[in-house]
Amino acid sequence: MSTLTTADSGTARPLDAAAEVVARRLPRGRRRTTAAVLGGLFLAATCVIMFAPFLWTIMASTKTTREAFANPPVFLYEPTATAFVDLWQTTDFYLYLINTLVVAVITTVVALLVGLPCAYALSRFPGYVSAGLLILALVFRALPRFAVVLPMYDISRALGVYDTTYALAAALIAINQPFTIWLLRNFFAEIPRELDEAAMVDGCTRLQMLRKVMIPLMGPGILTAGIFTFLFGFQEYLTAAILTDTTSKTVPVFIATQLGQTLPMLQQAAAATVLLTIPVIGIAFVAQKYLVAGLNSGAVKG
Amino acid sequence: MFDHFWTKAAAGCLVAVSLLLTGCGAGSRTAANTATEVACDFTNPPEPVTVNVLAYNSSAVDPFTNTMVASCSHDNVTLEHDPIDFAGQVQKTTATLSGDSGTYDIIESYSFVIPQYGSEGKLEPLDPYIEEFGDKYGLDAINQEMLDSLSYEGKVYGLPMQAQMLVLAYREDVFDELGLQPPTTFAELREVSQAIQDAGEIQYPLALPWLSSSDIGTAYKAALGSQGVDYVDPDTREPLFTSEESRTALEEMKSLVPYMDPQVTTFDQPKVQQQLFNGDAAMGIMFSGRMVDLTKDTNTEHAGDFAFAAPPAVLEGGRQYGALSVDGWSIPVNTQVDKRLLFELIAASVGEDASRASIPAAYPAREGLVTEENSPYATAANEAIQNVPEPAPFPWVAKMSSGTSEVVAQVVTGAIPVEEGQRQMQEIGEQVMAEQG
Amino acid sequence: MRRREFVALTLPSVLVMFGFMLVPLYRTVEWSFERVSYGQAGTFVGLQNYLAALTEPRFGRAVVFTVGLTLVVTVVTICLGYLIATLVNGLGRMRPLVLGILLVSYVIPHVVGAVSFSWLFDSNFGGVANFLLGRLTGGDVLWFTDLWPNRLIIALNVIWSMLPFVMLMILAGLQGVSRETLEAAQIDGAGTLGRHWHVIIPSIRGVLGFAVLISTMDVLRTFDNLIPLAPQAVGLGNESIMLYIYNVAFREGAEDLGLGSAISVLTILIILVLLYPSIRSILKEAKEA
Repeated sequence: MSTLTTADSGTARPLDAAAEVVARRLPRGRRRTTAAVLGGLFLAATCVIMFAPFLWTIMASTKTTREAFANPPVFLYEPTATAFVDLWQTTDFYLYLINTLVVAVITTVVALLVGLPCAYALSRFPGYVSAGLLILALVFRALPRFAVVLPMYDISRALGVYDTTYALAAALIAINQPFTIWLLRNFFAEIPRELDEAAMVDGCTRLQMLRKVMIPLMGPGILTAGIFTFLFGFQEYLTAAILTDTTSKTVPVFIATQLGQTLPMLQQAAAATVLLTIPVIGIAFVAQKYLVAGLNSGAVKG
Repeated sequence: MFDHFWTKAAAGCLVAVSLLLTGCGAGSRTAANTATEVACDFTNPPEPVTVNVLAYNSSAVDPFTNTMVASCSHDNVTLEHDPIDFAGQVQKTTATLSGDSGTYDIIESYSFVIPQYGSEGKLEPLDPYIEEFGDKYGLDAINQEMLDSLSYEGKVYGLPMQAQMLVLAYREDVFDELGLQPPTTFAELREVSQAIQDAGEIQYPLALPWLSSSDIGTAYKAALGSQGVDYVDPDTREPLFTSEESRTALEEMKSLVPYMDPQVTTFDQPKVQQQLFNGDAAMGIMFSGRMVDLTKDTNTEHAGDFAFAAPPAVLEGGRQYGALSVDGWSIPVNTQVDKRLLFELIAASVGEDASRASIPAAYPAREGLVTEENSPYATAANEAIQNVPEPAPFPWVAKMSSGTSEVVAQVVTGAIPVEEGQRQMQEIGEQVMAEQG
Repeated sequence: MRRREFVALTLPSVLVMFGFMLVPLYRTVEWSFERVSYGQAGTFVGLQNYLAALTEPRFGRAVVFTVGLTLVVTVVTICLGYLIATLVNGLGRMRPLVLGILLVSYVIPHVVGAVSFSWLFDSNFGGVANFLLGRLTGGDVLWFTDLWPNRLIIALNVIWSMLPFVMLMILAGLQGVSRETLEAAQIDGAGTLGRHWHVIIPSIRGVLGFAVLISTMDVLRTFDNLIPLAPQAVGLGNESIMLYIYNVAFREGAEDLGLGSAISVLTILIILVLLYPSIRSILKEAKEA
């Protein structure tokens, strides 16, 4: 299918022309092997570079405090978990972690519940109204965050919902709604309309049909949209930094306020980074298949 | 197969996390190592109250914060304090003080910002409470000058916990080896720096907190103060950025640059500490509250090698390149919690036991507690405190400092000439004064 | 589908978007004509904030910096993303592992990733990159105080955090390229480069366009990354538009909300101009349907 595999597929050619092919192809095949090796090396180097910042943070968090940020850097050391234990016991890190999770989960669930019917309608009701909504969604997606978040700060303080997880989740649902409906609309567009009609003939209402026919078919699409929305909520710094303060602080905000700390606590910031990131890396490993498949089946056709 | 494995791995992670949550007593140890158990006998409020405390973390502030949180959280009162760095505290203070209500009920404040917030009416005057609770918490032992530093126009806006002054930390081993004495003037500072540089081991011997967005403002003010002047002529209310003293301050600061890391304008105090911890620098001038970290061998292999002295004067015969910052507790006007209760909490945290326990990390505001025996930098601190520049309790000081700091950084790094910098600073200064009305 | 059903199905989402986006947006526009601070009623000052923004060289610098960053990062991520996606697409059993590692920088929150990234270049925190560079070249680079080195690490960091998503989209697109087309091209004797240029790239043009759109929108919004990486942003002129708004309206003591809002509105105008091609193509699609 691509440069790397075609070298192999060449050997599976019909036998009748084999001799000729081998004679003609050998030098080219060797060239391809070189290309494959170079490609593999490039990929390996990319992986190392992409992983390096996180790797260094893991190392900093598992060294002794003295070695953590020593210059010249220490590469060989005996790992210790002190920074993690101290982080866990002297700060409310678990609360920040729970806040982060709660915000991400609420955001995901509500965004999907609200976004699914809308995306379905947009995929089935072409015309200027739908186009208008989609354009609006695109514009909202591109807005400078501060244009909505600073007023939200002011409004939430006036309404007394400042520094609550649900206010933050509400803001994130709205901010990510454009992406959610855009993604889901493209998934719905893949499902043939005849299916709707067949179900409607069987006496289903639109909602019943949506629930009983469409949603089961949308499994991978919903999963993909869900993963992306979850990641958005889990990662969000700017909105969380402005809409939260003490009781609903999330981990990214916590880490950002630790950058100017002195040693023992600075090292705990590294530990916090590792603890925050390990679960999402787990998600990345589990979910990669769905992300690619999901993006493939619709999202990118927009 | 791969998927199966990763699903299992993910499940394993989840189990591990939940075990950690329940098993390891998360959040159970409230930085107990620096908290002192003191009596905190407030009148129990009828309803449960949560008190949010805003205080940046440093070895010198932590003992007071932790003592307050640990000792005063009982009955109907719960104190909450989240770790935060200094820049975070500055930003959150601005945010919580604006508007009719704020998140925080007790905030850490310092002499530099008291005049501004005091004049804007954002902090509660503490005099009636000091009157009422003075005997109960032994507040008469608090140094009067420090109390004055946290006052504006005769009203006290902060209850002092400690003083911090600029102190010179230097590597005694390096100095001894090269036969150097701690410098008393900037000229000597250049000489010893040159000598260390020439010895070849340490390329940039001097580290100063000159972060362009904040700390360098304090540095410039200290260099002015060393020559006996301030930002503004208090009588004519004219900014003095184009004065001869201002020129000298900038030129002298600039003369130190060859001995410092070229990226010194990104250094806050923790980064200066890193320079000293790592042996990249042999001298640093920071506030005294950062000094005790240098003596801990968990932080650095050089822990035993540091000695301390009063900072040098910019010009011979002048005052030190110094600054005295008094840290204290303030109560925002817009808090919803009973202010008498809040005052009792802060008073308990600066009581005699707590103050005594904060040594050597801090230089507490109570008279006569710090001695050579209990603090490695006591002599340096006592000497520094004698000879600091005059206090300048004016509401424009903080704004002048934050407004001009970027320009100072550009002058010092040579991005713009001194005259040009002076002109720009004067312009900013006049604007700040115009806003004062 | 009947109109009533359409309205019923879209209503919740539209309410959420309008309620939480348009209302704040309206407030921003209102503020941009006022002298105002949080929690207080403002006073109308006409176009004063806009004049202040447009005559302030800092705004111009921020726009130039942000647009330049967007161009560079988008071009580099698309090219690199295509290359890596092609290579990953050819992998067999190693694929899940490689893909998982490549996704790490995407799932880390930007601000946290930028902190880790900054530690590599700051000798006070170990500075592995400095250490290795010093070993190789013997030189010292001032990553945080020199203009172009600072721009380089900012761009590298933004690329680092954007690349996985772009790569993922392109990878998804590559899987949609039909085998027959590829084999036909191979039989025609097209070389590797020719095959990519004449067959694969045209058939995933839509995907590439979408990747460019998303990456443009996201890089224009760069903010988190600069907090640890550009401590001298203001002095050097490495301030993004978003950081500028934040500094003006939230951080620098004064909290000049009016000016910050005016800059937000101006930015929205810039974004609308940039989005115009996409908007037109959506309208065209609607007309055809």
